Amino acid sequence: MNFDASLWLVFILIGLATTLPRASFIVLGNRVTLPGVVQRALRYAPAAALAAIVVPDLLIVGNELQVFNPKLAAGCAAVAASTLWRNPWLPFIAGMTVLLGLRFGLGL
Amino acid sequence: MTSSFRTGAREGFTAFLPLSVGLVPWALVMGMAMISTGFSPLQAMGMSVIVFAGTAQLGTLPLIAAEAPIWLIIMTALALNLRFVIFSAAIAPGFRGTRLAERWLAGHLLTDGVFAVCLDKMLHNNDPRWRLGYFLAPAAWSWLLWQVFALIGILAAAYIPRQWSLEFMATIALIVLLVPMARVRPMLIAAIIGGTSATLLRNLPLRLGVIVGICAGIAAGFAAENIEHRNKQP
Repeated sequence: MNFDASLWLVFILIGLATTLPRASFIVLGNRVTLPGVVQRALRYAPAAALAAIVVPDLLIVGNELQVFNPKLAAGCAAVAASTLWRNPWLPFIAGMTVLLGLRFGLGL
Repeated sequence: MTSSFRTGAREGFTAFLPLSVGLVPWALVMGMAMISTGFSPLQAMGMSVIVFAGTAQLGTLPLIAAEAPIWLIIMTALALNLRFVIFSAAIAPGFRGTRLAERWLAGHLLTDGVFAVCLDKMLHNNDPRWRLGYFLAPAAWSWLLWQVFALIGILAAAYIPRQWSLEFMATIALIVLLVPMARVRPMLIAAIIGGTSATLLRNLPLRLGVIVGICAGIAAGFAAENIEHRNKQP
């Protein structure tokens, strides 16, 4: 496939579409402040957002809901590792071992 | 560069370093995906530097490949990054006392991981220079890792077997961020509701299910906090 100069325009527009939401309130700063209630509610944004990205990734296989699958098992191993031990690298080792073990060892 | 900036930078970098390993496979996968879309290495690196946003990059690639209308590509990128309006509002008080150019830079470099790591201390330290260092060090480190490994992915596109599923390490990195938050009950409820609704609503157009899931999770966590608070009073 051939892409011409207009591809760079598309990149710049996508760049604006991703930077403006991120910069919005940081740049506006003190000129715009959110009410206290909203700020209290926003403390739940990271947990909700991380779960909204992670959970579908663990449960969906090829757009089907599949509760028993290697990704969920690997995710559980990562959760267990980060709950039980302080070592920050262990969840990665545990999760990838379970994922690749189930995929290649058991052929799931 | 003041010394409180440097102290902040060192602490922020140390807090983020172990998690940053999760960016590596994600950036590798991104580099490989751009090449398999048909970009030249220069175009792929150009997108990586200009856009610097994992989900928006990965989400718009199929549309670019299909030569979709530009407005649809932009709307999709916007939808995928709308969660950052919420993150930006939450972390904005941490940038009081900093210059406009510094805030634009900070805005461009804001990512899920840096947000999750930095938010708490950004809001509870009184020194603007310390806070800026605490944010910019992990943010700049993320940017560097991202570009370097995107480039390696671009160059290695032909050699890394897809079956290794290295992209799953990005999911593990998000889990590592999530687990300590979920120790507080309203946070756990926010995560459960957010995750469940995003899963059930995954077929909404433009991946709006993620946005709706985040809003539902926030509402549930806030409601749980209020109920817990009311029960504690005699």
